Amino acid sequence: MKESLMEIVCCPIDKADLELDVEERDGEEIVSGTLTCTECGEVYPIEDGIPNLLPPDMREDATA
Amino acid sequence: MTRDLADRRGVETEVYGAAEDSRLLAEAAVEAVEPGWTVLDCGTGSGYVGDRLAETRARVIASDLNPHACERARDRGLEAVRGDLLAPFRPGVFDAVAFNPPYLPTDPENEWDDWMEVALSGGESGRAVIEPFLDSVSCALAPGGIVLLLVSSLTGFETLLEYAENRGFEASVVAEESFPFETLSVLRLVR
Repeated sequence: MKESLMEIVCCPIDKADLELDVEERDGEEIVSGTLTCTECGEVYPIEDGIPNLLPPDMREDATA
Repeated sequence: MTRDLADRRGVETEVYGAAEDSRLLAEAAVEAVEPGWTVLDCGTGSGYVGDRLAETRARVIASDLNPHACERARDRGLEAVRGDLLAPFRPGVFDAVAFNPPYLPTDPENEWDDWMEVALSGGESGRAVIEPFLDSVSCALAPGGIVLLLVSSLTGFETLLEYAENRGFEASVVAEESFPFETLSVLRLVR
């Protein structure tokens, strides 16, 4: 994801701002890291450039 | 598009590929979107609609519940977000939201529990995903923002139109195509 995506996304649970922590960057692209809700503290992973903003109860989807 | 879910099985079980409905929606969306807009391709699937939207020089965000779909959208160079409908997006950020929803009415006894079903099945009514989408989409729209929603006659066109109007949308049909078993329409919704 690009850092400018931060202007568009929010916590799916309470719509609060997210805080970005970058683990790996490739030019403008954030390849891995986390997004942490500034309100509820929920942590959302960024993997292979894609932020996973599913709430925790939907994240471990059983569907193959 | 065939009505029988079973007909869709076999070749592809992870991501719904672009079909007539995707193309009809993409054409209508490309027509409606202006350069510089921020646009969401909700439930992007193969990324086809998002890819076409990128031609307009709008900023395109592609989202999907399905991680495989997110990967394909990203491979096409789209900004991908994994999420449930409008949940991960801030209020007022999108000038347009395009959605080709899962809409086939499905017998609960006859579901298969894989990503292809998630992409196609709209529950018993065919509206199990479209209704929550309509409940939440206006919040994500910028002032004057539009929704482009693909609707099939199989899902109950009139019922859906009434549902959208009850949520404060003004609806117009901007594209329509008939097939032997269904008519596909693209609804343009504005507040």
